[in-house]
Amino acid sequence: HQQLFEKHLVLLRDGRTLIGYLRSIDQFANLVFHQTVERIHVGKKFGDIPRGIFIVRGENVVLLGEIDMDKPCDTVLQQVSIEEILEEQRLQQQAKQETEKVKMQVLKDRGLSIPKADNLDEY
Amino acid sequence: MFRFQSLNEDCMLEEEDDGLIEDEDEIDQFNDDTFGAGAIDDDWQEEHKRLAELDERDELGAGLGFGGGGMGGDSDLSTSERPSSTRIPSSVVHPPPPSSLASLSFSSSSSRLPPSDVEDRVGEGDLAESLARLILDADPAIAGVGAAERPGLPPGSSGSGLSALRGLDQPRVLPQPSPILPPTQPHQHPQHQLPPGLPASGLPPSSMLSYQQQQHLLRRGTAPMGQMSSHSIWENSMGFGPVSVTPGLLTHMEDNPLMSIIKEVGHPKRAPQGRNDEDLSERAPPPRSSSPVIGSPPVRAVPIGTPPKQPMSHALNHQIHHPTAVHVRAPVQHRYPAPFPERLSPNTLLNIANSPLCRGPFPPRVGPVLSQIQRAQLLNSQVAGFPRGGPPPLLPGGGGFRPFFGGPPPPHGHRMGPPPPHGPPNHAPPLRHNTTHLHPQHRRMLTQRMQSRGGDRRPGMDRRSRDPYSNLMTQKEKEWVTKIQMMQLQSTDPYLDDYYYQNYYEKMEKRQEKEQDSSKKEHTTKLITPQVAKVEHTYRPVQFAGSLGKLTVSSVNNPRKMIDAVVTTRSDDEEKREKQVWNKRRQILYTVEKMYSLLLEVQDFEKCFVQAPEEDREALLEQHKSNTEQLCSSLREKEWDDRVSDEQCVMIMSVRKGKRLISRLLPFLPSMQAAAVVMAIARNLPALAKKDKQDQVLCWLVEPVSAVIQSLSSASLTDLLQELQGSEGQLATVLHNKFGVTLLYVILSEGERMQSSDPNCQLMDDNRWTELVFSVTRELLSVPSSSLSPPLFTPPNLLSLFSRYVDRQRLELLQDKLQ
Repeated sequence: HQQLFEKHLVLLRDGRTLIGYLRSIDQFANLVFHQTVERIHVGKKFGDIPRGIFIVRGENVVLLGEIDMDKPCDTVLQQVSIEEILEEQRLQQQAKQETEKVKMQVLKDRGLSIPKADNLDEY
Repeated sequence: MFRFQSLNEDCMLEEEDDGLIEDEDEIDQFNDDTFGAGAIDDDWQEEHKRLAELDERDELGAGLGFGGGGMGGDSDLSTSERPSSTRIPSSVVHPPPPSSLASLSFSSSSSRLPPSDVEDRVGEGDLAESLARLILDADPAIAGVGAAERPGLPPGSSGSGLSALRGLDQPRVLPQPSPILPPTQPHQHPQHQLPPGLPASGLPPSSMLSYQQQQHLLRRGTAPMGQMSSHSIWENSMGFGPVSVTPGLLTHMEDNPLMSIIKEVGHPKRAPQGRNDEDLSERAPPPRSSSPVIGSPPVRAVPIGTPPKQPMSHALNHQIHHPTAVHVRAPVQHRYPAPFPERLSPNTLLNIANSPLCRGPFPPRVGPVLSQIQRAQLLNSQVAGFPRGGPPPLLPGGGGFRPFFGGPPPPHGHRMGPPPPHGPPNHAPPLRHNTTHLHPQHRRMLTQRMQSRGGDRRPGMDRRSRDPYSNLMTQKEKEWVTKIQMMQLQSTDPYLDDYYYQNYYEKMEKRQEKEQDSSKKEHTTKLITPQVAKVEHTYRPVQFAGSLGKLTVSSVNNPRKMIDAVVTTRSDDEEKREKQVWNKRRQILYTVEKMYSLLLEVQDFEKCFVQAPEEDREALLEQHKSNTEQLCSSLREKEWDDRVSDEQCVMIMSVRKGKRLISRLLPFLPSMQAAAVVMAIARNLPALAKKDKQDQVLCWLVEPVSAVIQSLSSASLTDLLQELQGSEGQLATVLHNKFGVTLLYVILSEGERMQSSDPNCQLMDDNRWTELVFSVTRELLSVPSSSLSPPLFTPPNLLSLFSRYVDRQRLELLQDKLQ
């Protein structure tokens, strides 16, 4: 039987997940994605944001894989609308920031300070 | 720059093969002529004449009423020198041999020059005048030439020529040739005669040159302008409708403008451009004068790693060997924002498309009309069995797209050109690959023909057919990228480079084997990494038989050693001896290190043996044996001497690590050797003790030495004790040293144990033992308590030993001492 086109999933260094048709790749792993969708996961929910055409610079790619369309999809994930997922994400970020703040405060009280690794590239 | 390029290409058609016109960015080294491009036959004087003449002609033309500003002033010129001038155009129209044209034009212009009185030409006028006079004087025959009339004389040519001549002095004159540039493009050939330009004023973008004239003049005219002309050319050419390209050019190219251009142009240049594709854009400088083996490799425009080109094989080869390095296409960044121009020749479009900007890692295609999208479509159609509906140069309409999931319709709808006829997408034979380099019209006809034939749509191909963006990468390109990625995995020693992955992989495999026996058959994909064999490359300089000395030319292919340094390698033995002689310590250290690594292997043997699979065990065993052998032999000084070398031992022990080494080594040595080592230690104890004063690490040896001692026979024990006592005063030294004392006590205690445990022991057979013990006791008693160093431990049975030999009084004293 005919195979449909395989979508690819790429995980970027900043944590974004893109799904789309991989049209082109080069020696640096620069990618050209077509009909891309950014998938945001929060907890058990996820939302897809259509993004169009993406050109990803190779150095930002963490991993790239083909999505097997034929495999049965038995995830527990539940798809929600874009607004909802963005809202969820915002809440998640907020919560994280709160805990981070609390932690920093506690550390400060004890006279310790752990520098935040804002930029993952720093060695 | 591309305009220049096209001009260049067009000029080439006149079969002047002396190289390329300079542009400001790159000077063609091979053809860098000092006095203008292509100084072949004529000398500069003739050229000057011609150019001057042509300039005059320009004015003349204006005077004849072809319009254009500022030409009025030249009417007097035209009238005065009518005859001469008229002859020229006819000769110009029918492409004349360069020299004759030059002479003709120059003469006519020269004859006209003296009366010229235009303000802006005062300066050059004198120059031209003098030159003209010179020439005319020299050859009156020339002056007589040019009596023909001048029907529709394109003055632009002369104007341009002269202006080009003057361009050396006055930049404002330079714009003159530029109007010629656009008109020289092929599509304007037949009818378009541009209105005459004028050097004086800002030129209207047209000149009355016939196509060939323009060609010729530009060929000549632009050259003398040199560097500074280039800028103004471009600036001016901007005025003609910038040859700018939108980012979507690749797709737009095939839209209306191109079609319209091609329509209006006809195909005058098609045939030569076929040649162009190979000759011109891919033309390379002549190969360097060196054979491929000896000399430098050919210059490559595309770096050696770029993926394979389009299927045009001959062009491909051509490209590889004759890179496009020479033809520089100007960067077109600044042109992008401007709207797509109407009047672009296919040539320029090709050049735009082929510009370095548009080139990705994938090198330019020889068939530039076909963009990647088109190629993808072709492939799709091939796969699908039918063309993409509509001629390949046009993009398919937006209707056929699979709506992309989860969102608004694809944003690239706007990119579509005129939606192509989604004609009956059926036909039997698909569009073939090698038709990509057809002329667009030809291709269109072909596809139309194919479409009309019709065919059956294969069931189930719908999905694939509706995705026009698949196969954007050719199989070759994919393979190329894969190859590069796999190259990174190449390794000559995978266990060295990637130890953890290898182990992990093996574990996984074993686990899977276990699991798969029970469960269903699931074929897991295995990554087969390329295995690269280790190849030894020895450098051998190129030498020719019978030649004197070495080559003088050195290149990538035959690097030459600059200095013939002779490397003298010494064998291990020699090295040892030499080092022994000069630097014993270093050698000892070296020995210690070597022995240590052997020792570690020996000590790890047990562990390895257990873990190793069956087949490896034998090998391991062998290894182990050899290791121990080596260890033993290293203790011997000379190969043939079976005895343990005292000196060697001492030397080793003089190093702290060596002492540790010995202490660890002793258990692994065969008993004979171990005993010998211990003897050596005892014998040289004072020396050792002295060396050890700082470190005090001799005590590491206590344990293994005691172990050895306990296995000694009585005779050897006696010997040992004797050794310990050795020469005069040795015992005193021994007693001063902690280790010595301990050793002594251990020996004595061992002796006692022997005696007490086994009544038949031979310890008492000769008197040695007794005597030795006596001397020990004597020494012990005589030595003051302070100098007696406390031992590591005092064996309990010493007293009983002493009680055998000494009387009560002394015993008590000894007891005190021992405490």
